[in-house]
Amino acid sequence: MKSPIISRRGLIQTGLLGLGGLALPLNALSQSNASIVIVGGGFGGASAGRTLKDLLPSAEITLIEANANYTACPFSNLVIATERPLSAQEFSYDRLQAAGISIISARATSVDASGQIVELQDGSQVPYDRLILSPGVDMRWGALEGYSQEAAERHPHAWKAGAQTQLLRDQLVALEDGENVVMTVPPAPYRCPPGPYERASMIAHYLKTNRPRSKLIILDAKDSFSKMALFQEAWAEHYPDHLEWRGALDDGAVSRVDANLKTVYTDFDELSAAVINVIPPQKAGQIADAAGVSDQTGWCPIDPLSFESKLQPKVHVIGDATIAAPMPKSAFSANLQAKVCAFAVARLLSDLEPIATTLANTCYSYTTPDEAISIAGVYSNVGGQLSSVSGAGGVSPLNGDKAVRQAEAAQAAHWFQTITNEAFG
Amino acid sequence: MPNQRAWSVLGSLSLLGLAACGGADGPQQSQNVEQSTGKASLLATACSGCHSDVSTGIASLQGYSVEALQLSLSNYKSDAEGTTVMHRLARGYSETDIALISQYLGAEDLE
Ligand SMILES: Cc1cc2nc3c(=O)[nH]c(=O)nc-3n(C[C@H](O)[C@H](O)[C@H](O)COP(=O)(O)OP(=O)(O)OC[C@H]3O[C@@H](n4cnc5c(N)ncnc54)[C@H](O)[C@@H]3O)c2cc1C
Repeated sequence: MKSPIISRRGLIQTGLLGLGGLALPLNALSQSNASIVIVGGGFGGASAGRTLKDLLPSAEITLIEANANYTACPFSNLVIATERPLSAQEFSYDRLQAAGISIISARATSVDASGQIVELQDGSQVPYDRLILSPGVDMRWGALEGYSQEAAERHPHAWKAGAQTQLLRDQLVALEDGENVVMTVPPAPYRCPPGPYERASMIAHYLKTNRPRSKLIILDAKDSFSKMALFQEAWAEHYPDHLEWRGALDDGAVSRVDANLKTVYTDFDELSAAVINVIPPQKAGQIADAAGVSDQTGWCPIDPLSFESKLQPKVHVIGDATIAAPMPKSAFSANLQAKVCAFAVARLLSDLEPIATTLANTCYSYTTPDEAISIAGVYSNVGGQLSSVSGAGGVSPLNGDKAVRQAEAAQAAHWFQTITNEAFG
Repeated sequence: MPNQRAWSVLGSLSLLGLAACGGADGPQQSQNVEQSTGKASLLATACSGCHSDVSTGIASLQGYSVEALQLSLSNYKSDAEGTTVMHRLARGYSETDIALISQYLGAEDLE
Protein backbone atom coordinates (compact mmCIF):
# COMPACT_ATOMS: atom_id res chain seq x y z
CA MET A 1 0.00 0.00 0.00
CA LYS A 2 1.20 3.47 -0.78
CA SER A 3 0.81 5.14 2.55
CA PRO A 4 -0.86 8.51 2.75
CA ILE A 5 0.87 11.40 4.43
CA ILE A 6 0.47 10.83 8.12
CA SER A 7 1.36 13.79 10.21
CA ARG A 8 0.23 15.51 13.31
CA ARG A 9 -0.74 18.45 11.17
CA GLY A 10 -2.42 16.29 8.59
CA LEU A 11 -4.46 14.57 11.24
CA ILE A 12 -5.48 17.83 12.75
CA GLN A 13 -6.45 19.22 9.38
CA THR A 14 -8.59 16.23 8.63
CA GLY A 15 -10.14 16.54 12.05
CA LEU A 16 -8.87 13.21 13.28
CA LEU A 17 -7.27 14.73 16.31
CA GLY A 18 -10.35 16.64 17.34
CA LEU A 19 -12.72 14.30 19.06
CA GLY A 20 -15.65 15.78 17.15
CA GLY A 21 -14.30 14.59 13.84
CA LEU A 22 -13.47 11.18 15.14
CA ALA A 23 -15.71 8.48 13.80
CA LEU A 24 -13.64 5.46 14.80
CA PRO A 25 -12.92 4.45 18.37
CA LEU A 26 -9.17 4.31 17.96
CA ASN A 27 -7.91 2.82 21.17
CA ALA A 28 -5.53 0.19 20.09
CA LEU A 29 -2.15 1.38 21.22
CA SER A 30 -3.27 2.21 24.71
CA GLN A 31 -5.12 -1.12 24.96
CA SER A 32 -2.18 -3.34 24.09
CA ASN A 33 -1.24 -5.05 27.33
CA ALA A 34 1.56 -7.06 25.86
CA SER A 35 4.56 -7.72 28.05
CA ILE A 36 7.76 -6.29 26.62
CA VAL A 37 11.03 -7.01 28.40
CA ILE A 38 14.24 -5.09 27.75
CA VAL A 39 17.67 -6.27 28.91
CA GLY A 40 20.24 -3.48 29.29
CA GLY A 41 19.47 0.09 30.35
CA GLY A 42 22.07 1.94 28.28
CA PHE A 43 21.47 4.32 25.38
CA GLY A 44 19.64 1.59 23.44
CA GLY A 45 17.59 -0.09 26.16
CA ALA A 46 16.54 3.04 28.07
CA SER A 47 15.48 4.78 24.83
CA ALA A 48 13.53 1.71 23.72
CA GLY A 49 11.72 1.57 27.05
CA ARG A 50 10.69 5.21 26.93
CA THR A 51 9.53 5.10 23.34
CA LEU A 52 7.51 1.94 23.92
CA LYS A 53 5.89 3.37 27.04
CA ASP A 54 4.82 6.39 24.99
CA LEU A 55 3.51 4.27 22.12
CA LEU A 56 1.90 1.53 24.21
CA PRO A 57 0.86 3.07 27.55
CA SER A 58 -0.99 -0.07 28.67
CA ALA A 59 1.75 -2.49 27.79
CA GLU A 60 3.88 -3.86 30.58
CA ILE A 61 7.41 -2.58 29.98
CA THR A 62 10.15 -4.12 32.12
CA LEU A 63 13.77 -3.04 32.02
CA ILE A 64 16.36 -5.43 33.44
CA GLU A 65 19.63 -3.65 34.23
CA ALA A 66 22.60 -5.02 36.16
CA ASN A 67 23.80 -1.67 37.55
CA ALA A 68 21.90 0.66 39.89
CA ASN A 69 22.98 3.69 37.81
CA TYR A 70 24.19 4.20 34.26
CA THR A 71 27.61 5.70 33.53
CA ALA A 72 27.82 7.10 30.00
CA CYS A 73 30.86 6.62 27.77
CA PRO A 74 30.40 9.66 25.48
CA PHE A 75 32.39 12.54 27.01
CA SER A 76 34.25 10.13 29.33
CA ASN A 77 37.46 10.93 27.42
CA LEU A 78 37.17 14.46 28.83
CA VAL A 79 36.90 12.92 32.31
CA ILE A 80 40.16 11.02 31.77
CA ALA A 81 41.88 14.28 30.83
CA THR A 82 40.53 15.88 34.07
CA GLU A 83 38.40 18.30 32.05
CA ARG A 84 35.12 16.98 33.47
CA PRO A 85 33.94 15.19 36.65
CA LEU A 86 32.93 11.53 36.40
CA SER A 87 29.66 12.45 38.16
CA ALA A 88 28.62 14.33 34.98
CA GLN A 89 28.48 10.90 33.27
CA GLU A 90 26.08 9.31 35.76
CA PHE A 91 22.34 8.88 35.23
CA SER A 92 19.66 7.22 37.34
CA TYR A 93 16.64 5.19 36.29
CA ASP A 94 14.26 7.20 38.49
CA ARG A 95 12.61 9.01 35.61
CA LEU A 96 12.01 5.79 33.71
CA GLN A 97 10.40 4.30 36.77
CA ALA A 98 8.27 7.43 37.20
CA ALA A 99 7.16 7.00 33.58
CA GLY A 100 5.71 3.59 34.47
CA ILE A 101 8.55 1.34 33.36
CA SER A 102 9.29 -1.48 35.83
CA ILE A 103 12.99 -1.58 36.63
CA ILE A 104 14.50 -4.87 37.73
CA SER A 105 17.95 -4.28 39.18
CA ALA A 106 19.57 -7.61 38.34
CA ARG A 107 21.74 -9.35 35.78
CA ALA A 108 19.94 -11.46 33.20
CA THR A 109 21.77 -14.77 32.88
CA SER A 110 19.90 -16.66 30.19
CA VAL A 111 17.04 -16.50 27.72
CA ASP A 112 14.76 -19.35 26.74
CA ALA A 113 13.69 -18.06 23.34
CA SER A 114 11.23 -20.86 22.64
CA GLY A 115 9.59 -20.53 26.06
CA GLN A 116 9.85 -16.70 25.88
CA ILE A 117 11.41 -16.36 29.32
CA VAL A 118 14.39 -14.39 30.65
CA GLU A 119 16.15 -15.86 33.65
CA LEU A 120 17.86 -13.68 36.25
CA GLN A 121 20.92 -14.31 38.38
CA ASP A 122 18.80 -15.18 41.42
CA GLY A 123 16.96 -17.83 39.40
CA SER A 124 13.73 -15.89 38.99
CA GLN A 125 12.04 -15.86 35.61
CA VAL A 126 10.56 -13.02 33.59
CA PRO A 127 8.22 -14.01 30.74
CA TYR A 128 7.83 -11.81 27.66
CA ASP A 129 5.79 -11.40 24.49
CA ARG A 130 8.66 -9.50 22.86
CA LEU A 131 12.23 -9.21 24.16
CA ILE A 132 14.65 -6.39 23.30
CA LEU A 133 18.34 -6.93 24.08
CA SER A 134 20.65 -3.90 24.29
CA PRO A 135 23.55 -5.33 26.30
CA GLY A 136 26.30 -3.27 24.68
CA VAL A 137 29.72 -4.91 24.39
CA ASP A 138 31.80 -7.28 26.44
CA MET A 139 35.57 -7.58 26.18
CA ARG A 140 36.92 -10.70 24.49
CA TRP A 141 39.16 -11.61 27.40
CA GLY A 142 42.17 -13.56 26.20
CA ALA A 143 41.77 -12.60 22.53
CA LEU A 144 44.78 -10.39 23.12
CA GLU A 145 47.28 -12.65 24.86
CA GLY A 146 47.85 -11.65 28.47
CA TYR A 147 44.92 -9.26 28.67
CA SER A 148 42.51 -10.67 31.23
CA GLN A 149 40.03 -9.13 33.64
CA GLU A 150 42.82 -9.04 36.26
CA ALA A 151 45.20 -7.36 33.82
CA ALA A 152 42.53 -4.70 33.21
CA GLU A 153 42.84 -3.70 36.87
CA ARG A 154 46.42 -2.63 36.11
CA HIS A 155 46.04 -1.57 32.52
CA PRO A 156 42.51 -0.22 32.22
CA HIS A 157 40.53 -0.40 29.01
CA ALA A 158 38.15 2.35 30.21
CA TRP A 159 35.91 1.23 27.32
CA LYS A 160 33.01 0.82 29.74
CA ALA A 161 32.61 3.97 31.76
CA GLY A 162 32.80 4.05 35.56
CA ALA A 163 35.53 2.57 37.76
CA GLN A 164 37.71 1.91 34.68
CA THR A 165 37.46 5.57 33.63
CA GLN A 166 38.46 6.68 37.13
CA LEU A 167 41.39 4.24 37.17
CA LEU A 168 42.85 5.53 33.91
CA ARG A 169 42.39 9.12 35.04
CA ASP A 170 44.12 8.39 38.37
CA GLN A 171 47.01 6.69 36.59
CA LEU A 172 47.42 9.65 34.26
CA VAL A 173 47.42 12.08 37.17
CA ALA A 174 50.04 9.94 38.98
CA LEU A 175 52.36 9.90 35.96
CA GLU A 176 55.81 11.42 36.50
CA ASP A 177 56.88 14.01 33.96
CA GLY A 178 58.94 12.21 31.32
CA GLU A 179 57.18 8.84 31.72
CA ASN A 180 55.22 7.67 28.70
CA VAL A 181 51.68 6.49 28.06
CA VAL A 182 50.81 3.70 25.59
CA MET A 183 47.37 3.10 24.11
CA THR A 184 46.56 -0.01 22.06
CA VAL A 185 43.70 -0.03 19.54
CA PRO A 186 42.07 -3.26 18.27
CA PRO A 187 40.95 -4.15 14.75
CA ALA A 188 37.39 -3.13 13.78
CA PRO A 189 34.62 -3.64 14.69
CA TYR A 190 34.57 -2.16 18.19
CA ARG A 191 32.43 0.32 20.14
CA CYS A 192 32.80 3.94 18.94
CA PRO A 193 35.18 3.88 15.92
CA PRO A 194 36.61 7.41 16.50
CA GLY A 195 36.68 6.98 20.31
CA PRO A 196 40.36 5.92 20.65
CA TYR A 197 41.53 8.95 18.67
CA GLU A 198 39.42 11.38 20.67
CA ARG A 199 40.90 9.81 23.81
CA ALA A 200 44.40 10.11 22.36
CA SER A 201 43.77 13.81 21.71
CA MET A 202 42.56 14.33 25.27
CA ILE A 203 45.49 12.44 26.81
CA ALA A 204 47.95 14.37 24.62
CA HIS A 205 46.31 17.61 25.72
CA TYR A 206 46.73 16.58 29.36
CA LEU A 207 50.40 15.69 28.83
CA LYS A 208 51.18 18.87 26.91
CA THR A 209 49.61 20.93 29.70
CA ASN A 210 50.73 19.00 32.79
CA ARG A 211 53.55 16.57 31.88
CA PRO A 212 55.35 18.34 29.03
CA ARG A 213 58.23 15.82 28.86
CA SER A 214 55.85 12.85 28.57
CA LYS A 215 54.34 11.45 25.40
CA LEU A 216 51.51 9.17 24.21
CA ILE A 217 52.26 6.35 21.77
CA ILE A 218 49.26 4.79 20.01
CA LEU A 219 49.76 1.22 18.79
CA ASP A 220 47.03 0.55 16.25
CA ALA A 221 45.99 -2.73 14.60
CA LYS A 222 44.66 -0.71 11.64
CA ASP A 223 46.19 1.52 8.99
CA SER A 224 43.33 3.94 8.70
CA PHE A 225 40.62 5.13 11.05
CA SER A 226 37.54 7.29 11.40
CA LYS A 227 38.13 11.04 10.72
CA MET A 228 41.84 10.17 10.24
CA ALA A 229 42.86 13.19 8.17
CA LEU A 230 41.11 15.54 10.57
CA PHE A 231 42.65 13.96 13.65
CA GLN A 232 46.11 13.99 12.07
CA GLU A 233 45.69 17.64 11.13
CA ALA A 234 44.75 18.47 14.73
CA TRP A 235 47.59 16.37 16.14
CA ALA A 236 50.16 18.08 13.91
CA GLU A 237 48.86 21.44 15.03
CA HIS A 238 48.43 20.81 18.75
CA TYR A 239 50.47 17.80 19.83
CA PRO A 240 53.53 17.40 17.57
CA ASP A 241 55.69 16.50 20.60
CA HIS A 242 53.13 14.64 22.67
CA LEU A 243 51.46 12.09 20.40
CA GLU A 244 52.85 9.43 18.08
CA TRP A 245 50.60 7.08 16.09
CA ARG A 246 51.83 3.77 14.68
CA GLY A 247 49.55 1.89 12.28
CA ALA A 248 49.67 -1.79 11.35
CA LEU A 249 52.17 -1.19 8.52
CA ASP A 250 54.40 0.44 11.10
CA ASP A 251 54.33 -2.62 13.36
CA GLY A 252 51.53 -1.07 15.41
CA ALA A 253 49.46 -4.23 15.98
CA VAL A 254 49.91 -5.49 19.55
CA SER A 255 49.95 -9.28 20.00
CA ARG A 256 50.65 -9.65 23.72
CA VAL A 257 50.45 -7.77 26.99
CA ASP A 258 52.50 -8.54 30.09
CA ALA A 259 50.74 -6.83 32.96
CA ASN A 260 53.51 -7.57 35.49
CA LEU A 261 56.22 -6.12 33.28
CA LYS A 262 54.03 -3.21 32.17
CA THR A 263 55.00 -4.14 28.64
CA VAL A 264 53.21 -4.66 25.34
CA TYR A 265 54.62 -6.64 22.43
CA THR A 266 54.20 -6.17 18.69
CA ASP A 267 55.68 -8.48 16.03
CA PHE A 268 59.08 -6.84 16.17
CA ASP A 269 59.07 -4.55 19.16
CA GLU A 270 58.26 -4.28 22.83
CA LEU A 271 57.26 -1.15 24.68
CA SER A 272 57.15 -0.52 28.40
CA ALA A 273 55.26 2.43 29.81
CA ALA A 274 54.06 3.75 33.14
CA VAL A 275 50.46 3.87 31.90
CA ILE A 276 49.09 1.39 29.38
CA ASN A 277 45.52 1.81 28.14
CA VAL A 278 44.55 -1.40 26.36
CA ILE A 279 41.41 -1.14 24.25
CA PRO A 280 40.82 -4.85 23.67
CA PRO A 281 38.85 -6.71 20.98
CA GLN A 282 35.12 -6.80 21.78
CA LYS A 283 31.92 -8.74 21.14
CA ALA A 284 28.21 -8.43 21.87
CA GLY A 285 27.36 -8.50 25.59
CA GLN A 286 27.34 -12.03 26.99
CA ILE A 287 23.55 -12.34 27.26
CA ALA A 288 23.44 -12.30 23.44
CA ASP A 289 25.37 -15.59 23.41
CA ALA A 290 23.11 -17.04 26.11
CA ALA A 291 20.04 -16.05 24.08
CA GLY A 292 21.44 -17.60 20.91
CA VAL A 293 21.27 -14.35 18.97
CA SER A 294 25.01 -13.87 18.29
CA ASP A 295 26.78 -15.63 15.42
CA GLN A 296 30.37 -16.81 14.95
CA THR A 297 31.54 -13.20 14.66
CA GLY A 298 30.44 -12.56 18.25
CA TRP A 299 27.88 -9.95 17.08
CA CYS A 300 24.15 -10.22 16.35
CA PRO A 301 22.62 -10.39 12.88
CA ILE A 302 19.30 -8.51 12.70
CA ASP A 303 16.51 -7.69 10.27
CA PRO A 304 17.19 -3.97 9.73
CA LEU A 305 13.49 -3.03 9.49
CA SER A 306 12.59 -4.29 12.97
CA PHE A 307 15.93 -5.15 14.58
CA GLU A 308 14.46 -8.61 15.21
CA SER A 309 17.15 -11.25 15.50
CA LYS A 310 17.77 -13.35 12.41
CA LEU A 311 18.45 -16.28 14.73
CA GLN A 312 15.60 -16.21 17.29
CA PRO A 313 12.01 -15.07 16.77
CA LYS A 314 10.50 -12.36 19.03
CA VAL A 315 13.93 -11.34 20.26
CA HIS A 316 15.14 -7.93 19.03
CA VAL A 317 18.70 -6.67 19.37
CA ILE A 318 19.76 -3.01 19.18
CA GLY A 319 22.85 -0.91 19.78
CA ASP A 320 26.49 -1.95 19.92
CA ALA A 321 25.65 -5.68 20.05
CA THR A 322 24.22 -5.71 16.50
CA ILE A 323 25.75 -6.22 13.09
CA ALA A 324 24.51 -2.92 11.65
CA ALA A 325 27.50 -1.74 9.62
CA PRO A 326 27.82 0.73 7.96
CA MET A 327 26.02 2.25 10.96
CA PRO A 328 28.70 2.68 13.62
CA LYS A 329 28.47 1.41 17.18
CA SER A 330 27.56 4.73 18.78
CA ALA A 331 25.17 6.11 21.37
CA PHE A 332 23.47 8.05 18.57
CA SER A 333 22.93 4.83 16.60
CA ALA A 334 21.74 2.91 19.68
CA ASN A 335 19.16 5.60 20.49
CA LEU A 336 17.78 5.74 16.96
CA GLN A 337 17.81 1.98 16.51
CA ALA A 338 15.87 1.78 19.78
CA LYS A 339 13.19 4.09 18.42
CA VAL A 340 12.95 2.30 15.07
CA CYS A 341 12.77 -1.03 16.92
CA ALA A 342 10.08 0.30 19.31
CA PHE A 343 7.96 1.47 16.37
CA ALA A 344 8.36 -1.94 14.73
CA VAL A 345 7.43 -3.80 17.92
CA ALA A 346 4.28 -1.65 18.28
CA ARG A 347 3.38 -2.54 14.69
CA LEU A 348 4.13 -6.24 15.08
CA LEU A 349 1.95 -6.40 18.20
CA SER A 350 -0.85 -5.00 16.02
CA ASP A 351 -0.28 -7.42 13.15
CA LEU A 352 1.29 -4.75 10.96
CA GLU A 353 4.50 -5.20 9.02
CA PRO A 354 7.45 -3.00 9.99
CA ILE A 355 8.17 -0.37 7.35
CA ALA A 356 11.36 0.97 5.79
CA THR A 357 12.89 4.26 6.86
CA THR A 358 16.02 6.37 6.67
CA LEU A 359 18.40 6.27 9.62
CA ALA A 360 21.22 8.63 10.49
CA ASN A 361 24.20 9.02 12.78
CA THR A 362 26.35 11.91 13.94
CA CYS A 363 29.44 11.49 16.13
CA TYR A 364 31.48 14.39 17.46
CA SER A 365 35.06 13.99 18.71
CA TYR A 366 36.98 16.52 20.74
CA THR A 367 40.50 17.31 19.51
CA THR A 368 41.14 19.89 22.25
CA PRO A 369 38.87 20.67 25.21
CA ASP A 370 37.10 23.36 23.18
CA GLU A 371 37.38 22.12 19.60
CA ALA A 372 35.65 19.16 17.94
CA ILE A 373 35.23 17.45 14.57
CA SER A 374 32.30 15.38 13.37
CA ILE A 375 31.27 12.53 11.12
CA ALA A 376 27.72 12.05 9.86
CA GLY A 377 26.07 9.22 7.92
CA VAL A 378 22.65 8.50 6.43
CA TYR A 379 21.46 4.90 6.04
CA SER A 380 18.68 3.05 4.28
CA ASN A 381 17.21 -0.17 5.71
CA VAL A 382 15.51 -1.47 2.57
CA GLY A 383 16.51 -4.70 0.83
CA GLY A 384 17.33 -6.64 4.00
CA GLN A 385 20.41 -4.65 4.91
CA LEU A 386 21.61 -1.32 6.17
CA SER A 387 23.45 0.65 3.51
CA SER A 388 24.89 4.15 3.27
CA VAL A 389 22.85 6.59 1.19
CA SER A 390 25.29 7.69 -1.48
CA GLY A 391 26.16 11.37 -1.73
CA ALA A 392 25.28 11.96 1.92
CA GLY A 393 27.27 12.05 5.14
CA GLY A 394 30.95 12.72 5.59
CA VAL A 395 33.25 14.60 7.93
CA SER A 396 33.95 18.21 8.93
CA PRO A 397 36.01 20.23 6.44
CA LEU A 398 39.80 19.99 6.58
CA ASN A 399 41.57 23.28 7.35
CA GLY A 400 38.45 24.39 9.17
CA ASP A 401 38.54 27.66 11.06
CA LYS A 402 38.92 27.52 14.80
CA ALA A 403 35.41 28.96 14.91
CA VAL A 404 34.07 25.92 13.00
CA ARG A 405 35.83 23.56 15.42
CA GLN A 406 34.49 25.49 18.40
CA ALA A 407 30.98 25.48 17.00
CA GLU A 408 31.12 21.69 16.64
CA ALA A 409 32.41 21.40 20.23
CA ALA A 410 29.40 23.39 21.39
CA GLN A 411 27.08 21.20 19.29
CA ALA A 412 28.66 18.11 20.84
CA ALA A 413 27.84 19.33 24.34
CA HIS A 414 24.26 20.06 23.33
CA TRP A 415 23.97 16.68 21.64
CA PHE A 416 25.06 14.98 24.90
CA GLN A 417 22.40 16.89 26.83
CA THR A 418 19.70 15.87 24.36
CA ILE A 419 20.65 12.22 23.95
CA THR A 420 20.96 11.61 27.69
CA ASN A 421 17.63 13.36 28.22
CA GLU A 422 16.04 11.17 25.53
CA ALA A 423 17.25 8.07 27.34
CA PHE A 424 17.18 8.98 31.03
CA GLY A 425 15.66 12.46 31.45
CA MET B 1 7.37 22.56 32.35
CA PRO B 2 5.69 19.85 30.32
CA ASN B 3 7.46 16.72 29.22
CA GLN B 4 10.57 18.06 27.58
CA ARG B 5 11.49 15.00 25.63
CA ALA B 6 11.57 15.21 21.91
CA TRP B 7 8.58 16.22 19.95
CA SER B 8 8.71 13.04 17.91
CA VAL B 9 7.42 11.12 20.86
CA LEU B 10 5.09 13.95 21.74
CA GLY B 11 3.78 13.57 18.23
CA SER B 12 2.89 9.98 18.95
CA LEU B 13 1.38 11.01 22.25
CA SER B 14 -0.91 13.52 20.67
CA LEU B 15 -2.14 10.72 18.45
CA LEU B 16 -2.69 8.69 21.56
CA GLY B 17 -4.94 11.42 22.83
CA LEU B 18 -7.46 9.73 20.58
CA ALA B 19 -7.39 6.63 22.65
CA ALA B 20 -9.41 8.09 25.47
CA CYS B 21 -12.74 7.33 23.84
CA GLY B 22 -12.29 3.59 24.20
CA GLY B 23 -13.56 0.83 21.97
CA ALA B 24 -12.79 -2.61 20.69
CA ASP B 25 -9.64 -4.17 19.31
CA GLY B 26 -9.56 -5.30 15.72
CA PRO B 27 -9.10 -3.40 12.50
CA GLN B 28 -9.13 -0.07 14.31
CA GLN B 29 -6.14 -1.12 16.34
CA SER B 30 -4.07 -1.63 13.23
CA GLN B 31 -5.26 1.67 11.86
CA ASN B 32 -4.23 3.56 14.95
CA VAL B 33 -0.77 1.98 15.08
CA GLU B 34 -0.44 2.55 11.36
CA GLN B 35 -0.85 6.26 12.04
CA SER B 36 1.39 6.69 15.07
CA THR B 37 4.19 4.54 13.74
CA GLY B 38 3.87 5.44 10.07
CA LYS B 39 6.42 6.65 7.59
CA ALA B 40 6.46 10.33 8.56
CA SER B 41 6.91 9.85 12.30
CA LEU B 42 9.49 7.13 11.68
CA LEU B 43 11.51 9.42 9.41
CA ALA B 44 11.20 12.35 11.80
CA THR B 45 12.34 10.37 14.82
CA ALA B 46 15.89 10.49 13.40
CA CYS B 47 15.95 14.25 14.16
CA SER B 48 15.22 13.70 17.85
CA GLY B 49 18.73 12.49 18.70
CA CYS B 50 19.98 16.09 18.43
CA HIS B 51 17.01 18.47 18.35
CA SER B 52 14.99 18.98 21.50
CA ASP B 53 13.85 21.68 23.86
CA VAL B 54 16.31 20.83 26.60
CA SER B 55 19.19 22.40 24.81
CA THR B 56 19.32 25.66 22.95
CA GLY B 57 22.66 25.19 21.21
CA ILE B 58 21.10 22.97 18.57
CA ALA B 59 17.86 24.58 17.41
CA SER B 60 14.59 23.32 18.80
CA LEU B 61 12.25 22.50 15.93
CA GLN B 62 9.15 23.57 17.81
CA GLY B 63 7.13 26.41 16.41
CA TYR B 64 8.23 26.39 12.78
CA SER B 65 5.71 26.25 9.96
CA VAL B 66 5.73 23.31 7.56
CA GLU B 67 6.88 25.63 4.80
CA ALA B 68 9.77 27.02 6.83
CA LEU B 69 11.02 23.55 7.74
CA GLN B 70 10.71 22.28 4.19
CA LEU B 71 12.52 25.28 2.74
CA SER B 72 15.30 25.00 5.27
CA LEU B 73 15.83 21.27 4.75
CA SER B 74 15.72 21.66 0.96
CA ASN B 75 18.28 24.45 1.16
CA TYR B 76 20.61 22.28 3.22
CA LYS B 77 20.14 19.46 0.71
CA SER B 78 20.82 21.54 -2.41
CA ASP B 79 23.71 23.67 -1.10
CA ALA B 80 26.62 21.78 -2.65
CA GLU B 81 29.20 23.90 -0.81
CA GLY B 82 27.74 23.42 2.66
CA THR B 83 29.85 21.55 5.21
CA THR B 84 27.79 21.59 8.40
CA VAL B 85 26.38 18.41 9.91
CA MET B 86 22.92 19.39 8.62
CA HIS B 87 24.22 19.79 5.05
CA ARG B 88 25.82 16.35 5.22
CA LEU B 89 22.66 14.75 6.62
CA ALA B 90 20.08 16.51 4.43
CA ARG B 91 21.76 15.17 1.27
CA GLY B 92 20.59 11.70 2.30
CA TYR B 93 16.89 12.59 2.19
CA SER B 94 14.65 12.80 -0.89
CA GLU B 95 12.38 15.80 -1.42
CA THR B 96 9.48 13.46 -0.60
CA ASP B 97 11.12 12.53 2.70
CA ILE B 98 11.71 16.22 3.43
CA ALA B 99 8.05 17.01 2.75
CA LEU B 100 6.89 14.18 5.03
CA ILE B 101 9.22 15.21 7.85
CA SER B 102 8.22 18.87 7.55
CA GLN B 103 4.53 18.06 7.56
CA TYR B 104 4.99 15.86 10.59
CA LEU B 105 7.03 18.36 12.58
CA GLY B 106 5.54 21.60 11.35
CA ALA B 107 3.58 23.62 13.85
CA GLU B 108 -0.15 23.18 13.65
CA ASP B 109 -1.43 26.72 13.75
CA LEU B 110 0.86 29.62 13.09
CA GLU B 111 -1.75 31.95 11.71
C1 LIG C 1 35.38 6.37 25.22
C2 LIG C 1 34.07 6.30 24.49
C3 LIG C 1 33.55 7.45 23.92
C4 LIG C 1 32.33 7.39 23.23
N1 LIG C 1 31.85 8.54 22.67
C5 LIG C 1 30.70 8.51 21.97
C6 LIG C 1 30.19 9.69 21.36
O1 LIG C 1 30.77 10.78 21.46
N2 LIG C 1 29.05 9.61 20.65
C7 LIG C 1 28.37 8.44 20.52
O2 LIG C 1 27.33 8.43 19.86
N3 LIG C 1 28.83 7.28 21.08
C8 LIG C 1 29.97 7.29 21.80
N4 LIG C 1 30.44 6.14 22.39
C9 LIG C 1 29.73 4.86 22.14
C10 LIG C 1 28.54 4.62 23.09
O3 LIG C 1 28.94 4.66 24.42
C11 LIG C 1 27.93 3.25 22.80
O4 LIG C 1 27.78 3.08 21.42
C12 LIG C 1 26.57 3.11 23.47
O5 LIG C 1 26.72 3.13 24.86
C13 LIG C 1 25.84 1.85 23.02
O6 LIG C 1 24.61 1.70 23.69
P1 LIG C 1 24.07 0.23 24.04
O7 LIG C 1 22.70 0.42 24.59
O8 LIG C 1 24.28 -0.67 22.89
O9 LIG C 1 25.07 -0.28 25.18
P2 LIG C 1 25.41 0.35 26.61
O10 LIG C 1 25.18 1.81 26.61
O11 LIG C 1 26.75 -0.15 26.98
O12 LIG C 1 24.34 -0.27 27.59
C14 LIG C 1 24.33 -1.63 27.91
C15 LIG C 1 23.70 -1.80 29.28
O13 LIG C 1 23.29 -3.15 29.44
C16 LIG C 1 23.60 -3.59 30.73
N5 LIG C 1 23.71 -5.05 30.65
C17 LIG C 1 24.51 -5.78 29.83
N6 LIG C 1 24.31 -7.10 29.99
C18 LIG C 1 23.32 -7.21 30.92
C19 LIG C 1 22.66 -8.33 31.51
N7 LIG C 1 22.97 -9.58 31.17
N8 LIG C 1 21.70 -8.09 32.44
C20 LIG C 1 21.38 -6.81 32.80
N9 LIG C 1 21.99 -5.72 32.27
C21 LIG C 1 22.94 -5.92 31.34
C22 LIG C 1 24.89 -2.85 31.08
O14 LIG C 1 25.07 -2.77 32.48
C23 LIG C 1 24.65 -1.50 30.43
O15 LIG C 1 24.03 -0.59 31.32
C24 LIG C 1 31.64 6.16 23.10
C25 LIG C 1 32.17 5.01 23.68
C26 LIG C 1 33.38 5.07 24.37
C27 LIG C 1 33.93 3.83 24.98
